[in-house]
Amino acid sequence: MIATNIRRLSVYLVLAFASVSGALVWWQVLDAQTLAARQDNPQVIATRRSLPRGSIFDAQGRLLASSAVTDGISRRTYTDPAFTHVIGYASLRYGATGVERAWDDLLTGRTDPNPLRDLLNDILARQPDPHDLTLTIDQRLQDFAAAQLGADRGAVVAIDPRTGAILAMVSTPSYDATGFSGDPATAAAAFDAVAAMADNPFLDRGRQGHYTPGSIMKVLTTAAALDTGVITPQTTFADQPQQEVDGFVVNGFTIREHDLGKVTPALWDLSSALQVSSNIYFAHVGLELGADRYLDYARRFGFCSGLRLGDEGRSLPVDASYVSAQADGGCAPFTDTVELASAAFGQARVSVTPMQMALLAATIANGGLVPQPYVVRDLRSHAASGAVTDMILETYGGGRGNAAVSSQVAAQVRQAMIDAVDGPIGRLYAGAGAVARFGISGVETAGKTGTAERGPGLKPHSWFIGFAPAQEGAQPAIAIAVIVEGGGTGSGHAAPIGGAIMAEWLKLIGAGA
Amino acid sequence: MQAVPRPLELRLLLPLVILVPLGFAVTHIAQTGTLDIGPMGIAVGYVGLMLGAHVALRLVGNRGDQLLLPCVATIGAIGIIMLNRLPQNLLGTDVFGVRFGMATTQLLWFAVGLTAMVLLAGRFRDDGVLRHYKYTWALAGTLLLVITFLFGKEVNGARLWIDVGPVAFQPGEAIKVVLVVFIAAYLAEKRTLLAGASAKVGPISVPPLPYLLPMIAIFVIVMLVVVISRDLGTALLFMGIFLTMLFVATGRRSYVLLGLLLFVAGSFVAYQLFGHVRVRVDNWIDPFVDPSDRGYQTVQALYAFGRGGLFGEGLGQGLPTISGHLPIPALPTDFIFAAVAEELGLIGAFALLALVMCLVFRGLRTAILAKDDFSAMLAVGLTVSLGLQTLIIAAGNVKLVPLTGITFPFVSYGGSSLLACFVVVGLLLAISHRSVVDAQIEGRGP
Repeated sequence: MIATNIRRLSVYLVLAFASVSGALVWWQVLDAQTLAARQDNPQVIATRRSLPRGSIFDAQGRLLASSAVTDGISRRTYTDPAFTHVIGYASLRYGATGVERAWDDLLTGRTDPNPLRDLLNDILARQPDPHDLTLTIDQRLQDFAAAQLGADRGAVVAIDPRTGAILAMVSTPSYDATGFSGDPATAAAAFDAVAAMADNPFLDRGRQGHYTPGSIMKVLTTAAALDTGVITPQTTFADQPQQEVDGFVVNGFTIREHDLGKVTPALWDLSSALQVSSNIYFAHVGLELGADRYLDYARRFGFCSGLRLGDEGRSLPVDASYVSAQADGGCAPFTDTVELASAAFGQARVSVTPMQMALLAATIANGGLVPQPYVVRDLRSHAASGAVTDMILETYGGGRGNAAVSSQVAAQVRQAMIDAVDGPIGRLYAGAGAVARFGISGVETAGKTGTAERGPGLKPHSWFIGFAPAQEGAQPAIAIAVIVEGGGTGSGHAAPIGGAIMAEWLKLIGAGA
Repeated sequence: MQAVPRPLELRLLLPLVILVPLGFAVTHIAQTGTLDIGPMGIAVGYVGLMLGAHVALRLVGNRGDQLLLPCVATIGAIGIIMLNRLPQNLLGTDVFGVRFGMATTQLLWFAVGLTAMVLLAGRFRDDGVLRHYKYTWALAGTLLLVITFLFGKEVNGARLWIDVGPVAFQPGEAIKVVLVVFIAAYLAEKRTLLAGASAKVGPISVPPLPYLLPMIAIFVIVMLVVVISRDLGTALLFMGIFLTMLFVATGRRSYVLLGLLLFVAGSFVAYQLFGHVRVRVDNWIDPFVDPSDRGYQTVQALYAFGRGGLFGEGLGQGLPTISGHLPIPALPTDFIFAAVAEELGLIGAFALLALVMCLVFRGLRTAILAKDDFSAMLAVGLTVSLGLQTLIIAAGNVKLVPLTGITFPFVSYGGSSLLACFVVVGLLLAISHRSVVDAQIEGRGP
């Protein structure tokens, strides 16, 4: 009796051992490939420790990042801290960020752009070749922009409006990632030192900084209102002059004008209102436009969802910008007309990234088409010498953007922005961003300053967006967004930085004199 | 007592004379590029111990199963080679100021375990001590558990250790044997009653509760203490042993199913109530949700299996250490199977499982050949304790069941576990010896 039961038991035990064996076959044979491909697999990490990694160059072929394998450890060297936020770091200990992360498989050669060779590498288990990257950014402009920001906290994003190529993308303060991109044993000290620094240097303010935009938002409001036909450049609001003094009562809440300084309120048209940066005027425009259309146009310009620098395959992510509160990853409906009217001049719950605001300027500069921004220009074969090669394997960018507004409307907004820089009142404010003040003659600048109020006791953020050359018939070569955190007025701080950088770029490419 | 020959055992042990030192040499060359003579002492010591145990079994006149020791010796050999190849300062003991490394400590415990095994195999002739005082044993065991829970040393959030002089001991391992003895004695006594009578509730036949009550009461108390001590693996193991022995004694699958149902229900309640249970189960369902923290060990173990592949990375060539520290902190104990599978591959893991199966089947054979119900039940319980323990930890390693912290018999690092396993083998040898002797007496009988 017991003997019979034991024999039956033995069958169950065999079944149990067989199940464990089956699971072993699954993990050790059938699923082994999948496990081996996972990034946190120590085998992958161990291989990476000793693998050469491709170099990264600026648009002119200047070396920005390179690797050398010494003592069996792949150590990365970065030449220019102004690029740290764009390039990121490839640390054996802390993982990768920025371009190093998004293009990791190509830099290490884990993926080959040629699918056939990729397959062959896989089958033959060949040691893949690393690849090099060329950025769209010119080191001269990047360094210039970083120097302009200096010790300030802030960001500069400059785009070629015709192509979407990023010309400069700087976030300050920055840091040198070389210290923790080499030997993992000594990485902690270097990393902790950066982490302990003030003002969070790890934050890429261009892509991840969320700021109240203030008056630069009026560019979006203008474009949307003109495109829907709610206003024309000649539109005036009869109540506006008196409301500049008494305030504009919306839904029981009084919206007040900012300090107009020496300017006397008058019945302003679009150009004058933008020059003076009248909050009352744009509150009226926002209310005329209505919540639905405002949100619709915001989305057309890229607001309310994350942006990416690059294509579907590989890109640097950019945090979403919002014109209202966040909801389900997008923009929530406006709670009331007060919020809408305030958003129309860039206050309330509007929260934007410098990248998005540069894209707004670039879209106006590009005749209403939203450029598709990208920061990696091409992929090349790697030379052990560290010099840039001519073997281009893949090129990126050049995607045609969608139209946010018509080219006529873009031209009207452009004219209003030229007036904001060069008009009789405007030159007192955004005039500080004119390239003419930085040694470029015969070139008009379009721009808008912003002074983003942050609440009592806090110095406002200083903003400037603009582009040049802006005169009729000219093709703008650079569009820019500048923010200086707590920098005070836009005209006082951000505008001259923006003007200087645009002028520098025009000099570098030989446009204007 | 009269010396007996054990020729088969000797022949099966002899290959280890070459294989164990070879294993040590291979791991050392793979790791350092040089042949270090120091650790070779452990290899020689290990083989010496096994051969010594063989000689001792002959001297004490044990005629029991000759396959048991070779199985154990080979399984243990894989274990000690793996342990020796890991960083030695990882675990180990300080005994009166002398520091013993991990492999050395394990070797000492092998010596203690083998001594216990030989003593039991040679001296244990009268099982009455176990049979008649079953309640005393059970009570003493439970008391030990409770004392451990109240005054023990806490390691990793579970209080399972008790300090005995310089040595820490896990009473849970001893209870395992005591529990088997109790259940075997009880079931052997009440077997006919249990198998015959059964009550029916509707179409389902339920166990005749009054007959089972004393046993269930003791078992529930033990389980409660184990569960409260957060020793989930041991709880699972005890449940498995209990149900298996119940099944063997009665032949009723319905009892087992009923027990399993109760266990699943209990587990569900535990999942709802206790955070540490929830963590284990969630990790089991998908460790990749949090691969760098909660799911870390499980994920790393799966990577180790994957790296091993069909033929393994080779002894000493796996990645159990990354720049000096273990990716899996519990590698020498809970995840030693993953390390074996990484370095010896699917082939090696299969071989290890096959060796355990061989051991289990020799144990079950001993039970079948046993002359009385108690011996048979005892042999079944002891064998199943080894088999289930292997299954639970191996299945946990390969993510077939939630991972619970118990040892792989004879392979994992751990003195208490090793000693308990050798006590099991010693008792099996004693039971086997008696049935062999009885068979011979019957054969010669009038």
